[in-house]
Amino acid sequence: MKTETAPEASAAPPAAEPRPPTRALPVWANPRLGLLIVIAVLVALFSSLTPAFLDPRLTLAPLQADISVYAVVGLAQLAVLSLGHMNMAVGRMAALSTFAMGLAYDRLGVPLLVGLLVGLAVGAGIGALAGLLIAKTGVNSFVVTLALDFGLLGLVTILYTWATGGVSFAVQPSGLSALRFDTFADYCMGEVCGPRIPLVVPIAVAAALGVGLLFRRARLGREILMTGSNPVAAELSGIPTHRRVVAAHALSGLLAALAGFLLAANNGAFSATIGESFLLPSFLAPVLGGTLLAGGAVSVLGTALGATLTQVIYKGLNLLQFSLEELKLYIGLVLLAALSLDRLRAVLAERRAVSPS
Amino acid sequence: MSRRMLSRIGSGLAVLALASTTAACTKKSDTTDAEAGGREPGQVKVALVPGGSHPYFQPWKDAGATAKSELALGDVTFNETAGWDQTKQNDVLKSLAAQGYNAFGVFGVSPDNINSTFEDLKRQGFPVGSLASCPAGANKADFCLSTDVEVAAYKGAKAAIDAMGGQGNLVHLTGNKVDSNTQRRIAGVEKAVAETGGKVTLIQSVTDIDKDLQSAQKAVADLLAAKGRQIQGIVNTAYNPAVASAEGVRQSKLPIKVIAIDDDPTVLDGLRGGSVAATVLQNPVGQAQVGSYALMKLSGGCTMAEPGVTIDSGSFVVTKDNLDGYEADRTATTEALRKKFDGDLLKCS
Repeated sequence: MKTETAPEASAAPPAAEPRPPTRALPVWANPRLGLLIVIAVLVALFSSLTPAFLDPRLTLAPLQADISVYAVVGLAQLAVLSLGHMNMAVGRMAALSTFAMGLAYDRLGVPLLVGLLVGLAVGAGIGALAGLLIAKTGVNSFVVTLALDFGLLGLVTILYTWATGGVSFAVQPSGLSALRFDTFADYCMGEVCGPRIPLVVPIAVAAALGVGLLFRRARLGREILMTGSNPVAAELSGIPTHRRVVAAHALSGLLAALAGFLLAANNGAFSATIGESFLLPSFLAPVLGGTLLAGGAVSVLGTALGATLTQVIYKGLNLLQFSLEELKLYIGLVLLAALSLDRLRAVLAERRAVSPS
Repeated sequence: MSRRMLSRIGSGLAVLALASTTAACTKKSDTTDAEAGGREPGQVKVALVPGGSHPYFQPWKDAGATAKSELALGDVTFNETAGWDQTKQNDVLKSLAAQGYNAFGVFGVSPDNINSTFEDLKRQGFPVGSLASCPAGANKADFCLSTDVEVAAYKGAKAAIDAMGGQGNLVHLTGNKVDSNTQRRIAGVEKAVAETGGKVTLIQSVTDIDKDLQSAQKAVADLLAAKGRQIQGIVNTAYNPAVASAEGVRQSKLPIKVIAIDDDPTVLDGLRGGSVAATVLQNPVGQAQVGSYALMKLSGGCTMAEPGVTIDSGSFVVTKDNLDGYEADRTATTEALRKKFDGDLLKCS
């Protein structure tokens, strides 16, 4: 998916005063291309330092599964960044939703897909509640979702203690282990088997396509972006901005629930700790990918690439057996370098674009 | 035909194609090797993976290095980068496997879902030992070599009751309430208190204060301010509360008998200075050394006589009187554990 930008809110310059001629931005100025190059360089670097980086079964398949989870986590944050809002409860929404899924599998014995739908509904519901509170009270989304996060933290622990006496459901719904262990290479038609891509990857791809189409093609998505770009102008244009705020937060909750499900599938357990590590990566992936914190512009492809970059760095440094302190230090440094290079590329591209031909 | 209609037809066809392909597919039978075996000691690369950074696991580093040289293993590594996050620990284990490590001694972050991780490793043919903590429910690792936390908590509570003169009020300080091991520790302390026939009362079990030293210090300060004069004994079954209560009681000068856990320098200084009445030591060195030994044997083709068996790695009550001799007891227990593996627990053809 490409970058989606809301129409410019300011009026176009009058025809009598044409802007100075500018060159079109070169291809390398695309921030997604920049990320792709950084990822390619890092993959080449890590592969040359440790051949284990290219091990398909032990490195590449788990890496794809991890990227799937964190790309969807990034999309959950992107859904509200489109408004210029934040969802500080993204992890706890995932935890509450996976609790609902675990409960449905454990107590009702529902099939995998039905439990997933139950969890998605809970996620969307709690997200919509956050959106409703923000829209009705006018309180900043940061404050509302932070408060919600605290509340859900306690609620999730109480619910797990009540339902399981511990922190995890022991239930393994049919199909979960296939999602966890299998890749398409395990499924063959005659002699031809699929690629070594984990089964969770298409779920994340479908989510990314859905979100991309929403913001690019659907009226709802365009109206959310316009609300994020300039709420007053959007309101005056007849867009029901309150309902768009609720919709964007519901989408964020739904995607958080999906990320929780993918992580539960990867870990093989529906537990209270799901979502604990979601918050920072949820911002990192979209921001690295060019989504604006101020709202009005999102990049789904960039978010996927941002998630890929962080997971590649983490996996590479892990394989090189960095110590705990070194691991944190180098993840910070590599991210800083990646962001700086990206900024440098953007500045060079802008200069080149505005320089006289 | 409009572009939109074309794209809709295209997507419909793609979905149909995908559905029919999936329906026609058959699943390959699992080709992963389920059994380890046949590896010489020099080919065995052991990874000792705690749940995160914690003083308890530091002896694993040296114990692993000793095991490597004594047993002539291919390699022994110690990796504490899991950061108390089960997802990260799973990732660390996969990365270690990718680097050629083929036998795993793991302290699972979450006893409630570590079994999935153990199954994952065993599917790939790696022998796995659950070290220093057993999973909740049936153990899916080859064996669990851990302190019997209920016995250790019982011993600690008994030591506290003795130090209190057999009567008075006792407080239990421990870790994460929703951890199944914490529930067993609470059961151990309650058992010792019940045996006094009402002479000792357990007035409070304070949980969830082992996350860091600061939260433990705050909880201890609050406890001493509120109930300090009613308390005759404190039994700790977690590291941070032990350090915090030794320090808190020393500063408040209250006549409370503190039973600590492990042999952190602060705790040993407290024992020498008298602010700690006793400490319950565990056997991390034995866990790493004997765990590595058992993993080597399993890699060489031995099997467990009883798969998933739980073995107590030992716990010892240390007071000021036996402060200098406890290391010899620990070494003897470690040696006895290794013999137990050779004699009863392992089946080698």
